[in-house]
Amino acid sequence: MSVDFLHPDETVAVDKSVPALEMRGIGKRFPGVVALDNVDLTLEPGKIHALMGENGAGKSTLIKIMAGVYGKDAGNIRLRGREADIKSPRDSLKEGIKVVFQEIALIAEFSVAENIFLEGYPTGKGGSIDWKKIRADAAALFRRIGFNVDPAARTGSLPVSQQQMVEIARALVHEARVVVMDEPTSSLTPNEVSLLFTVIRRLAALGIAVLYVSHKLDEVFEIADTVTVLRDGRHVSTRPISEHTNDTLIQDMIGRRIENLFPRKRGAPGSKVALSVQGLSTAKKLKDVSFEAHAGEVLGFFGLMGAGRTELAKAIVGFDPITSGTISVDGSPLLPHDTHTGVRLGIGLLTEDRKSEGLMGELPVYQNASLASLGAFARMGFVDKASERKAVQDYVDRFRIRTPSLFQQVKNLSGGNQQKVLISRWLMRGLKVIVVDEPTRGIDVGAKSEIFALIDRLAGEGLAVVMMTSEMPELLGLADRIAVMCEGRLTAIMSRDEATQENILNAAIG
Amino acid sequence: MSLASTDTTKSGPSMLARLVARQEVALLLCLILVIAFFSFTAENFFSVRNITNVLGQASLALTAGIGCAIVFISGEVDISIGSLLATIALPLIIIMNDTNSLVLGISGALLFGLIIGVVNGYLTAYAGINSLIVTLGTMFIMRGGVYLYTGQRAIPDDAALDSFIALSDGRLFNVVPYSAIIAIVLLAVFAYVMQHRPFGRQIYAVGGNPEVARLAGYDVRRVKFICFIISALLATVAGIILGARVGSAQHTAGLNFEFQVVAATVLGGVSLAGGIGSLTGMALGVLILQFLSNGLRGLGLPTEWQLVITGMIIIAAVAFDEAKRRRAIGV
Repeated sequence: MSVDFLHPDETVAVDKSVPALEMRGIGKRFPGVVALDNVDLTLEPGKIHALMGENGAGKSTLIKIMAGVYGKDAGNIRLRGREADIKSPRDSLKEGIKVVFQEIALIAEFSVAENIFLEGYPTGKGGSIDWKKIRADAAALFRRIGFNVDPAARTGSLPVSQQQMVEIARALVHEARVVVMDEPTSSLTPNEVSLLFTVIRRLAALGIAVLYVSHKLDEVFEIADTVTVLRDGRHVSTRPISEHTNDTLIQDMIGRRIENLFPRKRGAPGSKVALSVQGLSTAKKLKDVSFEAHAGEVLGFFGLMGAGRTELAKAIVGFDPITSGTISVDGSPLLPHDTHTGVRLGIGLLTEDRKSEGLMGELPVYQNASLASLGAFARMGFVDKASERKAVQDYVDRFRIRTPSLFQQVKNLSGGNQQKVLISRWLMRGLKVIVVDEPTRGIDVGAKSEIFALIDRLAGEGLAVVMMTSEMPELLGLADRIAVMCEGRLTAIMSRDEATQENILNAAIG
Repeated sequence: MSLASTDTTKSGPSMLARLVARQEVALLLCLILVIAFFSFTAENFFSVRNITNVLGQASLALTAGIGCAIVFISGEVDISIGSLLATIALPLIIIMNDTNSLVLGISGALLFGLIIGVVNGYLTAYAGINSLIVTLGTMFIMRGGVYLYTGQRAIPDDAALDSFIALSDGRLFNVVPYSAIIAIVLLAVFAYVMQHRPFGRQIYAVGGNPEVARLAGYDVRRVKFICFIISALLATVAGIILGARVGSAQHTAGLNFEFQVVAATVLGGVSLAGGIGSLTGMALGVLILQFLSNGLRGLGLPTEWQLVITGMIIIAAVAFDEAKRRRAIGV
């Protein structure tokens, strides 16, 4: 009773009367947190089941228990009607549970084809790896799903979206009975998303049970048969998608209605120029970009994939080298062009890649927050721990950062709370300009509105906020003015009143 | 609806460019350059006798280098191998002196090496102690232990078995030293394992990204554990050859050997970060350094200068590599 995407003809008929996977009364606690409390989930063969919930609702924990990454503290798991004991990723894979995690789980140095077969190399005579078969099967698989990438390419050399597709393709080789996808579209292009949906529907048609984890309501409405919602580690509802509307789903997820996702409390922006960028070019992307941002203003930058938003963000804070142009913060030029000078002048970056460019995951919350302002807490060259922690506690209270203590390792916090720690880091330093790159990436609905409120507050306190985003609602909801980029150039700057989805997209296409 | 949507990957660089970009090819060119240079400048360098001699001398580092490279590729380090060379000579020589049996002597040495590998591997992989610290510790413990046991004097190989002495000066067809043949055979076997057996690829995966390897169902700790055992056993083989060469067990045997091996391995493009490099690269690194030292001696340059030059070459090679890598990823 197994399904093999590569050889569907050999597939034995799946018994659809028995659930592919049943989780009953699952409980899991971490130090100081109950992550899951008595959660049930049933996946039927051939059905696409969406799992939704806010930050910290327990979706990732539930998936990791399924994948054998975490052990469970309570409850039981049945696979095709019989009790299963999943203690490690190996056990889970053996049972045909394939999890595509949100973070890229590929070996960068290996070829694409080798990564596809990482979980079990086909071997030939005497147990040697059959490289020919690996290359041929990978190529055949890519052809089947319409994914156009060279199986011999070094995986690390591919763009993130293609790496994500490689990971998805990996779930399709060998025998899969349950395929779990955790936010699979977070870094995919629209074309790749439609490709992915086609693949998911084919998986379901083959009798595979699909668990689709996403924050994106429109995706869930498009693809799912059934939706389970978790909140605060508890099961809230499991219903056919046809019984849901946008509102009922959001209500289940956050337990209340969101009146206004973009609460605006700040006044009109000032006229003082906080950041001035003139004729900025970089070797790889940016061409002659000029703009100004005012104190108290949110200046939103929109652009399609590869338009150069992240490159611009990194160049104006002094992180990436520039080839020509000037950047001034409050009238002072950013010279020499480096982040040390940038921070001294009062410009800082809230990175889109929190994990590798923002946080020091192993370090406690308070050290992550105080990192940029240690000088302020120094007495005779030593950091005064007491005043450091007091200052951080202040921000934890003000921003309602949910953490068991200041000493919690920051990697254990949810995405939204990590983002708040990073914002605290910059506020503590006393910035004049903050550049935020995709501030809500990997953060879900409820926490999103908190981040929006924080950004509103930053501008209200007189900072100039330069916000790079690919989310249209975020852009229209938050920005005072909207700048649009296309292939490294600035193609339009418009006020919020002038901006419509249509003219923004037109400018983004160039 | 067309499904062919993702960008077509650019067709790669030409065959030749790809070939030259391969680390091993660049290293081979270096080796040829070194040999060519000394063939013209140093007397008696380019002769069958000298070149097979160098191969014999290189056999110790080649053999132990396999283990060193494998441990590097798994993402760990093992610097206890020099002391291990001295230590396993004790059971080897003592058992042979007592029993007149080469097989028993070698078995004793391998058993001892196995125990050290298990200790290094257990403390690193299962107890979670940093491998640099673990093997630094066992390096000191073994060196001190040998010194305590032997004192200033060496324990001579009184049995003087012909088969044992052959490991030192025996040559196949009177040309290629047996020690070099042992090294080459081991190298071929392990190079095959690393490229064509699932276990070899698991080592690369574990060193390349342990999290990913675990999610792919690999037992990361077990893989690392086994790598340390392989390293200790191969160092034991090198130690047996060294024992035959010096004809005794003594506390100075293999002093600084671990650093020669680490140097050659790094020169050969095996990254300390794990997951990158090949045994072929390591072997070329060993040969480059060995021919260099032999050639410089042939030019009459004192050992002190050889050390200085070796150091500079290693830093230059790794700096070159880093520059190449940076260009490739476009930093």
